[in-house]
Amino acid sequence: MECRAVVSSLSDYLDARNIWESDDEVEQIETHLTNCPTCRNLKLELSEIKNASRELPLHTPPTALWARISKAIETEISTENGSARRTQNASGWWGWMNSRKFTFSLPQLAAAGAFAAILIVAGISGIFGEKPSQMNFRNAQGSLLLPEEDEIKANLERRLGAINARKAQWDLERRSDFEQRMNRIDESLKRCRNMLEDNPNDAGRQEMVRALYDEKRQLLEDVERLKW
Amino acid sequence: MVKEIPSSTQSSKSAAKFLSALTAGFLVLNASATSSGAQTFNRAFAVSPEKSELEVVNQAGTIKVTAGANPNKIVINARHSDGAAKINATQNALGKVKVEVTGRGKVDFEIAVPASSSIDLLSYQGAIVVTNLAGAVRARVTDGDIQIDGLRSARVDASCTQGNVSFSGEVLPSGRYTLKSFSGRVDAILPADADFKLSASSFRGGIDLGAFQMKFDKNSHQLVEASHGAGRASISLWTQEGSIHLRRKP
Repeated sequence: MECRAVVSSLSDYLDARNIWESDDEVEQIETHLTNCPTCRNLKLELSEIKNASRELPLHTPPTALWARISKAIETEISTENGSARRTQNASGWWGWMNSRKFTFSLPQLAAAGAFAAILIVAGISGIFGEKPSQMNFRNAQGSLLLPEEDEIKANLERRLGAINARKAQWDLERRSDFEQRMNRIDESLKRCRNMLEDNPNDAGRQEMVRALYDEKRQLLEDVERLKW
Repeated sequence: MVKEIPSSTQSSKSAAKFLSALTAGFLVLNASATSSGAQTFNRAFAVSPEKSELEVVNQAGTIKVTAGANPNKIVINARHSDGAAKINATQNALGKVKVEVTGRGKVDFEIAVPASSSIDLLSYQGAIVVTNLAGAVRARVTDGDIQIDGLRSARVDASCTQGNVSFSGEVLPSGRYTLKSFSGRVDAILPADADFKLSASSFRGGIDLGAFQMKFDKNSHQLVEASHGAGRASISLWTQEGSIHLRRKP
């Protein structure tokens, strides 16, 4: 896989989206990331941005704000076009917006696009994203599929929370390595849970999900025992 | 209770020419080790063979544990090339020996223990090799292989996240054997007359039962539940992405 292809897929990969045509595609990305330090660094930086955006506070604007904006636009319309034009444009500011011709240069469009993308990512992360203590965990789970799943989740969350609190002191390589391993287990967990959802009484699939939770617990226990 | 073996020799200020020459010779020999950056760590602990316990926590490097000639001693030899790694070996009041590596750097251990010792080993990066023991074995590697040979133990728990796990040894009637790897291969080489109940699960790589004639409860590409003989011991093999191979001991 080439760098360009990996870079364009990184965002989806980090979001653990199920958009891949095959498991091989994920494997190809992971193999490339293992071998290419440039892409690995980029992935790390994107992870950092994603994690940092989760920390951003979610501001809910006061209800009066939109009314004030709307009023300000209306006022501007009336100032520019006069009372006669205002009467003609019965649809208000939206009509005014439609009637205007906006022209932007390519760099302006690119900048606006990037800004919009950041706002969307930050907004989505703020609304739906997890706190760092829950990172890599809730993604892999929806409703409970095992009778003891609540207990398992609580245990893992507690351990992961304690580790995340210490992670800021780790160097980049260690953090990247740990997160990569966790993500890989989470991916498998998600896949097996999806299969179990299709047939919740399949004892074999239940055992597979249990084994993956246990693998995750093992990894967290390793880090605890290593005193990172 | 603790006996230390000195790891380096200091030059003597003695006037005796013979000793001076000997010391100089030793320093010359030692210089090669220093120039390559390697340092050694050697320690021995007196233990009771019936209650011998060892725990090793290593950040990176190989851990080799084997049955030693002396049934009353745990002898630790380690070699590390990075000064940032610090090795701490202690023994508690119950006689359990704990070896812990902190800091970054690779440390390779070669440890001799009484054959009946219980051991608990962890290495984040590096292999674990256990040979000829009869006590409980717990081996855990995040990134590396686990190889267990010539075992006569009733309790084995070996798992790695990334790496292969292989086991070769006796299957005791009351034994419980768990071998797991998230992304590697799992191999178990067992006596032809072994008496066990098997649970083997491989999500991706498949399960190969070799020449064992099993009585199946479940038999699919991803999951096998079966017994061999009277099914007294319990063997559990799991890998998410690798394959499972059962072989008869020649």
